[in-house]
Amino acid sequence: MSSSVQSIDAINAAADAVVRRADARFDAHRQEIVRTTDRMFAWLLVAQWLFAILLAVTVSPYAWQGKEKTVHVHVWAAIFLGGAITIFPVALALLRPGALLTRHVIAAAQMFWSALLIHLTGGRIETHFHVFGSLAFLAFYREWPVLVTGVLVVATDHFMRGILWPESVYGISNPEWWRFLEHAGWVVFIVVFLILSCRRALRDMREMAERGAELEALSENQWRRSSVLDREAAESGRR
Amino acid sequence: MESSNQQQQRPFQPTQSGGGYDRVVLREATGKIRQLSRKEFESLPLRERVSHLIAGTADFFAGGMSVSAADAMKG
Repeated sequence: MSSSVQSIDAINAAADAVVRRADARFDAHRQEIVRTTDRMFAWLLVAQWLFAILLAVTVSPYAWQGKEKTVHVHVWAAIFLGGAITIFPVALALLRPGALLTRHVIAAAQMFWSALLIHLTGGRIETHFHVFGSLAFLAFYREWPVLVTGVLVVATDHFMRGILWPESVYGISNPEWWRFLEHAGWVVFIVVFLILSCRRALRDMREMAERGAELEALSENQWRRSSVLDREAAESGRR
Repeated sequence: MESSNQQQQRPFQPTQSGGGYDRVVLREATGKIRQLSRKEFESLPLRERVSHLIAGTADFFAGGMSVSAADAMKG
């Protein structure tokens, strides 16, 4: 085999290695972001649970049936339904951080939390802002499918509760049948921009990894040049 | 187009912006020479860009002046 062919093979092998390391760096960076976001949501979900219990205890602690005082169903909903929404995703975030399932379960749970908070506040329109804040937090994952999961959950929730229990979601008993479409439309409006920002962020991360690969390739080139010079110097010294 | 030899003989001058490039000349193993804009070069597959950088077969230019690969990659 000629030396030029050997040299081309060596360059190809070095290029393959540099590209593999760039891919590994990109994957590691992405995985780090996902794990960090999983942990952030674990804290957020627990905080929302505590907040919901506090809200229920403060706003509507008791129900009355005649002269009989009982703990309001909202308090039990905040404790037990809130717990059911929180425990599984938090366990996944702690036990399987970075897994695909974890972030989709978290996205669904976060939207269920929006639904529960909206219910606990009697369908207050202001509480619907929780949906938008949650979507912005979910964009931290930089993965648009996670946002799609969130949108599907919140749209389905609004549609179903809008039919079965409209006071719970809109605060009125006879909303228009298409009210959920109005809410979903605004959600889609923000999600389009969040998806664009996720794609942009991923592209920037990829460019950063590629820039690292190019610098690594340059240093490989310098090393090869200095090796050749060293060899030539050693050979001329022997002559 | 100038030949790559003529371009290589130009003295090195760092770009005023402290790095960067706007044109690349690639010398292929087949002897073929390709001239690309920065955008075209950056659109090449990473594997191909890296191969040229390792082999030293990519000549970078900024404002018509030759710049070293290291300086080109700074900007």
